[in-house]
Amino acid sequence: MRREPANRISEKGLTVWRIHGIFYTLIVLVPAIAASVLAYIFEGPIWIYIVSGAVSVIAGFLLIFLFPKIRWQRWRYEVRETEIELQHGLFIVKRTLVPMVRVQHVDTSQGPILRKYGLSGITVSTAATNHEVPALQMEEADELRSRISVLARVAEDDV
Amino acid sequence: MMSEKNRLHWVTAVIELLKTLKEAIIPLLVIVVANGIGRERSGNFWLDNLTILIFGAFIVITAVAGFIKWKRFVYWFEDGELRIEHGLFVKKKRYIPFERIQSVDYTEGIFHRPFGLVKVKIETAGNSSVLEGAEADLTAVTRAEADRVSAVISEAKRRRRAGVQEVQEDGAEAVGVFPAEEPEEEVKTLFRMGRKEIFLLATFSGRIGLIFSGIAIFLSQFADILPFDVIYDEVVAFIRFGVFMVAAVVLVLMLVGWILSVAWTYLGFYGFTVSFDGDDLFISRGLLEKKRVTVPLKRIQAVRVSENPFQKLLGYVSVKVHSAGGSVKEAGAAIGLFPLVRKREVNGLLSELFPDIETSGELAGIPVRSRPFYYRLDFIWVLPLTAAAGYFLFPYGLLALLIIPVIILLGLWQHRSAGWRVNDRQLTVRWREFTLHTVYVSRKRIQSMQEHQTIFQKRRNVATVTAAFKSGIMPSKAPIRHIDEADADRLMDWYDPRNRLQAPSPVEGTPAAEGE
Repeated sequence: MRREPANRISEKGLTVWRIHGIFYTLIVLVPAIAASVLAYIFEGPIWIYIVSGAVSVIAGFLLIFLFPKIRWQRWRYEVRETEIELQHGLFIVKRTLVPMVRVQHVDTSQGPILRKYGLSGITVSTAATNHEVPALQMEEADELRSRISVLARVAEDDV
Repeated sequence: MMSEKNRLHWVTAVIELLKTLKEAIIPLLVIVVANGIGRERSGNFWLDNLTILIFGAFIVITAVAGFIKWKRFVYWFEDGELRIEHGLFVKKKRYIPFERIQSVDYTEGIFHRPFGLVKVKIETAGNSSVLEGAEADLTAVTRAEADRVSAVISEAKRRRRAGVQEVQEDGAEAVGVFPAEEPEEEVKTLFRMGRKEIFLLATFSGRIGLIFSGIAIFLSQFADILPFDVIYDEVVAFIRFGVFMVAAVVLVLMLVGWILSVAWTYLGFYGFTVSFDGDDLFISRGLLEKKRVTVPLKRIQAVRVSENPFQKLLGYVSVKVHSAGGSVKEAGAAIGLFPLVRKREVNGLLSELFPDIETSGELAGIPVRSRPFYYRLDFIWVLPLTAAAGYFLFPYGLLALLIIPVIILLGLWQHRSAGWRVNDRQLTVRWREFTLHTVYVSRKRIQSMQEHQTIFQKRRNVATVTAAFKSGIMPSKAPIRHIDEADADRLMDWYDPRNRLQAPSPVEGTPAAEGE
């Protein structure tokens, strides 16, 4: 692999992902609890409790701790004069190169959780593909957005 | 200055009526069935004939609506724009600048024929108003009028290209006043499909799969009947006879369906011709309904040559082009340029059409060590399936094991067929699904490129690179799977604009150290 892009995303992004992880864990937890309750009512075998408990704990560990951490450590981006380079992925390291010439527009977007932490996502669109940097400090995202749009305007070429 | 406002031909009203009826046929049938059948007469005229009344009212209203639509629809040229106005209560106006117009397509339906009319479809590049459809239809105009519209638009575009700044306002008049600066490039026919090719294409695209599935259904039916055999001898004889009859009828129906679909394709592709005037490609086809599609050459993003193994046995391949823009309906779909063409002719045709494309270069293969990657992933879903089949459907389920060698062989085949190449401005990617695809895409048409690597790939020092380009309004991707990591990096470097900027040469795409 080539040299890694220079910048990391905001550390608070990790917190946001952990919160997402909690939601996902809850989704796993619901059937686990349902199974346990049913097992209690119908006096099911003991292993149902054990499996439900283990699945919940493992899911919680992976979704809240491990995966966000790996993702955060992997996430890097760099905006240079002529191109944007991104690196992300969980099990698969993905390195994306988007030339400035190809950038059609840049958006920043912010959900409720991101807003609470003063973060913002930024999406770079080419004629065919979209690329998102998920969590940046709000000022940084705004600054980056205007910088990309200026750089993209300077670079000229047709579709 | 503006040209006079033009009307469409009155057949438009009829076509609109029929179009609406066609769309409404199912709800109407529902009404008829729900209301009209098996109800006793009450003596009340209005109630008894409710269905017919609704029917009649609907047709009358639709007819009036079609008539109004035709009556109110006007188009003209003004200020370098095509302007369209229509609507009775809500007046809609659409002004389309000539420069925005990408293509002018003709379609000639059955109703157009007797009057020598065509439907003109004007497509713009925008995907901005996806829902509205960034286009305009002139439902029925005379052939001469269509040619006039087309001439006005292409004239305006040509003048803009020639660098004339003050666009003459009156496009229509301009045709007469300004003969084209450069002598009109004559339209050259590049490719014409022979009857044999069209027939072959129809045979292939016809629902061969339908027949196979039909036979499968027949066999499964037969197997279901078998247990009865022991118990009800006579009944079975009858049922068998019945089943045989049913199966025979089904088979015959399917055969007829297949023949119809072959015939349909044959008619649709009849007279398939590709012609070329230096800027635009014109693809025309069809016997009953003639279609002409215009593809501006500079909108073409990539060219794909596909070799279906069966077609290749007969020496044929097919070629599609990915064009940017176009309508929503054909989103992401590549346009069939040569649906079936002799393999030995294809490179010549392509180089005539796209002189920049290099089709001859030797492709670099995939390293031997990444061979397992081509079939390994498939096992993740195949193994549990075969295991389950083997366990639950015991003796026969084991036949599922036969899938495994098939998958491995396909993987090996894919590995052996894949390849890639870069020269100073073009990427060539070849990969096999079952059909072998070769995509030629120039670097400036690649929208983004991605290198990715799993932990397993990292262990073997290989990586996958994907190039995304625009096709319709969707992205399309060319995958270069499991190549040497160093090569993958070189490919990314090749795409990286930084490396090109530093080089002093003004030529776009200075040759870097290319991965070969």
